[in-house]
Amino acid sequence: MSTRSRRQFLARAGKGLGAVAASTLLPPALGAESPLAPRKSHEPARAKAIIYLYMHGGVSHVDAWDPKPELSRLSGKTLPASFVKGLKTSRIDFTKALARGSAWPFQKHGESGLEISALFPHIARHADQLALVRSCHGDAFDHAPAMYLHGSGSQFPGRPCLGAWTVYGLGSENQNLPAFVVMTDGAMKCGPQGYGAGFLPAVYQGTMFRSGKSPVLDLSNPDGVSNRTQRATLDLVSELDRQHLGERPFDTDLEARLAAYELAFRMQSEAPEAVDISKESDATKRLYGIGEGPSDDFGRKCLLARRLVERGVRFVQLYSGTHLGDDWDGAHNDLTGSHNKMAAKTDKAISGLLTDLQSRGLADSTLVVWGSEFGRTPLAEGRNGRDHHPYAFSMWFWGAGVRGGRVLGSTDEFGLRPVENPVVAHDVNATILRMMGLDHLKLTYYFQGRDMRLTDVHGEGEFTKFLVQG
Amino acid sequence: MDRKLGWGLAVLAWVVPLHSAEVSAARAVEILRANCWQCHSRTMNMSGLDLTTRDAALRGGSRGPALAPGKASDSRILEAVERKTKLAMPPAKPLEAADIESLRRWINDGAPWSETSSASAPRSTWWAFQKVTRPTAPKIADRWVHNDVDAFILQRLQAENLSPSAPAPAATLVRRAYLDLWGLPPSMEQVREFVADNRPDAWPRLIDKLLASPHYGEKWGRHWLDLVRYSDTAGFELDTYIHDAWRYRDWVIQSLNDDKPYNLFVQEQIAADELFPEDPVARTGTGLYCVGPNRDLFPDQADINREEVLTDYADTTSSVFLGLTAGCARCHDHKFDPISQEDYYRIRALFAPATKVKVALNRLESLGFDVADGVREWKLREIGEQIRRAQSRCQDSLRTAKLSRLPAEAQEALRLPDSERTPRQRELASEYEKNARVTDQEIRACLSPQESADLHGVEKALVQMYANYRSKPFSCGLADSWNVAPRTFLPAKGSRPEREVQPGFFSILGGGDVPPPAEKREATGPIPLMPTTGRRTALAKWITDPGNPLTARVMVNRIWQYHFARGLLATPSDFGTRSGKPSHPELLDWLASEFVANNWSIKHLHRLIMTSMTYRMGSTPSPESARRDPLNLLLSHYSRRRLSAEEIRDSVLVATGGLNPKQGGRPVVPPLSAEEKATLTQSPDNSWVLTTDASEYSRRSIYLIQKRTFRMPMMDVFDAPESMLSCARRDSSTTAPQSLSLFNGSFTMERAAALSSALTADHPADDDSLIRAAWRKVLARDPGNAELSRARKFLQEQTQNTGARRQAVIEMIRALLNLNEFLYVD
Repeated sequence: MSTRSRRQFLARAGKGLGAVAASTLLPPALGAESPLAPRKSHEPARAKAIIYLYMHGGVSHVDAWDPKPELSRLSGKTLPASFVKGLKTSRIDFTKALARGSAWPFQKHGESGLEISALFPHIARHADQLALVRSCHGDAFDHAPAMYLHGSGSQFPGRPCLGAWTVYGLGSENQNLPAFVVMTDGAMKCGPQGYGAGFLPAVYQGTMFRSGKSPVLDLSNPDGVSNRTQRATLDLVSELDRQHLGERPFDTDLEARLAAYELAFRMQSEAPEAVDISKESDATKRLYGIGEGPSDDFGRKCLLARRLVERGVRFVQLYSGTHLGDDWDGAHNDLTGSHNKMAAKTDKAISGLLTDLQSRGLADSTLVVWGSEFGRTPLAEGRNGRDHHPYAFSMWFWGAGVRGGRVLGSTDEFGLRPVENPVVAHDVNATILRMMGLDHLKLTYYFQGRDMRLTDVHGEGEFTKFLVQG
Repeated sequence: MDRKLGWGLAVLAWVVPLHSAEVSAARAVEILRANCWQCHSRTMNMSGLDLTTRDAALRGGSRGPALAPGKASDSRILEAVERKTKLAMPPAKPLEAADIESLRRWINDGAPWSETSSASAPRSTWWAFQKVTRPTAPKIADRWVHNDVDAFILQRLQAENLSPSAPAPAATLVRRAYLDLWGLPPSMEQVREFVADNRPDAWPRLIDKLLASPHYGEKWGRHWLDLVRYSDTAGFELDTYIHDAWRYRDWVIQSLNDDKPYNLFVQEQIAADELFPEDPVARTGTGLYCVGPNRDLFPDQADINREEVLTDYADTTSSVFLGLTAGCARCHDHKFDPISQEDYYRIRALFAPATKVKVALNRLESLGFDVADGVREWKLREIGEQIRRAQSRCQDSLRTAKLSRLPAEAQEALRLPDSERTPRQRELASEYEKNARVTDQEIRACLSPQESADLHGVEKALVQMYANYRSKPFSCGLADSWNVAPRTFLPAKGSRPEREVQPGFFSILGGGDVPPPAEKREATGPIPLMPTTGRRTALAKWITDPGNPLTARVMVNRIWQYHFARGLLATPSDFGTRSGKPSHPELLDWLASEFVANNWSIKHLHRLIMTSMTYRMGSTPSPESARRDPLNLLLSHYSRRRLSAEEIRDSVLVATGGLNPKQGGRPVVPPLSAEEKATLTQSPDNSWVLTTDASEYSRRSIYLIQKRTFRMPMMDVFDAPESMLSCARRDSSTTAPQSLSLFNGSFTMERAAALSSALTADHPADDDSLIRAAWRKVLARDPGNAELSRARKFLQEQTQNTGARRQAVIEMIRALLNLNEFLYVD
């Protein structure tokens, strides 16, 4: 518990204690003192919740969001030395590898005429609501460091990620569900540190929601224990604890732990309801591609994301892909196969999510972010592959009043490097915090001798203006 | 600069007549000297700026000239002290308005320089950088004062008009002592033994007994492992194993149990290879530099990785031993502490020649192991060949049969090598591969008697080869690769070119260079056994010099923190200028000098602290203390603390009678559910290789595998550190997932069931005696009457709910294991 909330606790301990000790169920107001109690933002917020769609493995920007006719023209040839100077990855030599045009035709979409490839036909229907950024870049060319960099501002793990900072800054609207929920397809190269709390208190780390009825670890009663038995045992704990507490006045930690057990019990009943999609209409499920082969699984995750956001969860991070199964990184050997497969899993689901958020009036308060740890080399790896390309890639933003149908930044004619408005991880993270009403310069935590922040020593560049004000 | 001095200067500025140019110049230079020279001198030169002479100030630093004589508004100095732009100096504490005004007038008057001031930079006035001088304990005639620690504490309390809480009852104290020194709760018998001991020295005797047990090192070793970011794996995507990390873990535990003098403990970790080259146990201490994170080694990243490794070495060394967070200075002069980027690279240069090495724990045995390992590897190649041959006929025929049942299109796709497949064939191949895969079982069933015998022969050979296989008799350590070091360069920045720096120490602590190695051997001469530069020896000696102002202070503050939940200085790994001041500065210095004077004995500190009345107070504050000092900074009572993750797990094992007390050895990998393993970065088959001896699962938590990318769920929820960065102080959070884990988790249920079986067997019919036994086991006390009747009612109710008394007992034990009484040290 932070010093501040301890103090808050103490301030009310004198008068509150007796009342608390006497009641079986602790007053819900006790939740207001928890480290996840909702807190005021620094500035008026544009969004209340974030759904971050993370494509694990690296999506090829020049095959999805960033059309490069010049690359197609030079397909099969090496690129001019001046363009590839200084670029390196683990697997290809930029001076020798051959350019390779995209296999997916690009087309203009919507009134804005945003160019998106045939890889994402469903998402493309939302072109007029997408703010597309084509000039992202970084310098970490392997998965884990790149994921840490984009998530936490450092290539080394151990720092809090965006979601952790967000709930540290804002708390949560729903004390009966985790504030920061993570869903994955399985193992990920970043491991739990990709959504970890780093040096922030562990309470701010992402909670993994698992598939099935019991989304949180140890959420259900132990095997063979009925609700009635569970409640009776919990009552014994409360009673004995209250007696113990009565002999130890002024201790807010003991009091808080009593409350934590009740909260856990409430979570046991609320979380399964939140993940139960059986009552959703067939039309809604169809929207997400649930029950339709490849999109079924990610569709369910997207639908869950909507349900969680509806219930006040602050931050939902959905990962598509696992290196122990299918992921976007299959592009090393098989660009078309891997990308078609992964797009089939996610395209309709994501499109359905956007449509559903819109129709339920959640679009204004929810920011949806689509991203990936890096792009893929415009040059070929082997016969049908592309290597990691951190030097240029794309991401997009939707909702929360973000004006869509726009593009920020551009890359050179081959998609190798940004040429206009280059955007780095810190810009993106600072901007997302701004959307949530948090000033990345003020959102700090004292650790190892200084006030740490998500963006470390960096500013936020022009990107914020583009997204927040534009 | 301390507040008193600043205030004094402000008064001085006010009384000095400002019309005299000479006086105003003297005053201005005095302000610069007191506030700026620490970082901006000829030697320190942060941001390339030297403010000790007029010429140097006019020349300025990386932001251009600092002074525009006659025009204060154009002078960087004034911009900095006014703090209206991003440039705000001095960083820690703004200047008084009067001082700013003095500077403005002085610049407008042409900034004449007063020659009366000496141009030498003052040593920092920051308290932590001053040598420790032993304060005298206050003389307080109060019966409460038991030793000098109490005198310091009581003096502060009396000054604040607060009084210490009453001593804790014996039963509370004994539990506190066991958990603080062993990390394990006492049994009912151990509590009784102490409570019944009426000898006047019963308490110090108990402390001595606990300190003499190997459990002591298992508890306190954990604190040290937190600090040195210990882990059995390297982190990142591949999270490779650090095979011999546990040898360092055991070295830490053993060193603490031996009460190895702290100066030696430090020296062995930094430079045992140079100081004690013939002592493999001491050299295991340099494993400190092997148990840290390491980025996956992809071909092109070796150079990046080396940079990060050196950074990790320098950062870890300075934060663990000196309580200085030097990391910022990697990229620029430190913003808050007087550590220049050059200083930082001087420290890094100390490690430039160092590399990880295998330390042979026993020369003959290690040599024998290496030889046998070489033979094994040679043989394995043939064995692989034999396995393939014995299986190939079945493998081929079974696969062909399976393929023939697939669609023609898929058959063709699967027959082609991957590089020749069309995109469509690739899709088919990945879809149908599993249908064509031949299992081990199918092969076994198909083998001919001859093939079977061949395979059996291979198995026999393998068993023979590995029958005597044990952990390698090596530890991982550090050694210099030669007696000449690669050069270290301060990176170029702005107009400043790249420049070579020499190894050395922090200027703020007196600096000093490292002497070059005593003898330079020519490459043509006899090759020395372990050529080395001596750089780390110099570092180790410098850190453990009794005159180093930080080393002893930092360590005694850590020990204090682990006893009282909060250090005398609240930021245990940050003694820099942003850390504030200790709550009891004299006590900190007194303890530091006591520590050094007693041969750096950590156990001496434990005795000193624990025999004080301060440590023996009860945990209930007076209403007055609760109101005026809610964080208990003044130590008017004992600060109740939650058990750490390891203490909780170990306590559950003790309470349910299942702790396996075996010490040391390879990390234990206990079983986890598939759900729990879902967040591993690699396949559980490879990254969670179960320990096969089930009796190991109930060993103390310090012996469980610690992976850098994955914490066991229970450790995770109860705030165990991530081991990426040094962790000087754990959080002690209170969250619902903790309750879920301890209330619903399989560990609790299994342990509760084990104790339930034992209790129901011992007390088949008598509920009261069973309840009493349960209370004694878990809480080490008898239940009160009210508790007894409540538990009786509970057992009846739950027997009805669950249909079995044994189940009801499980529920009761589960409740006891979740009580605050069980989870906190009172």
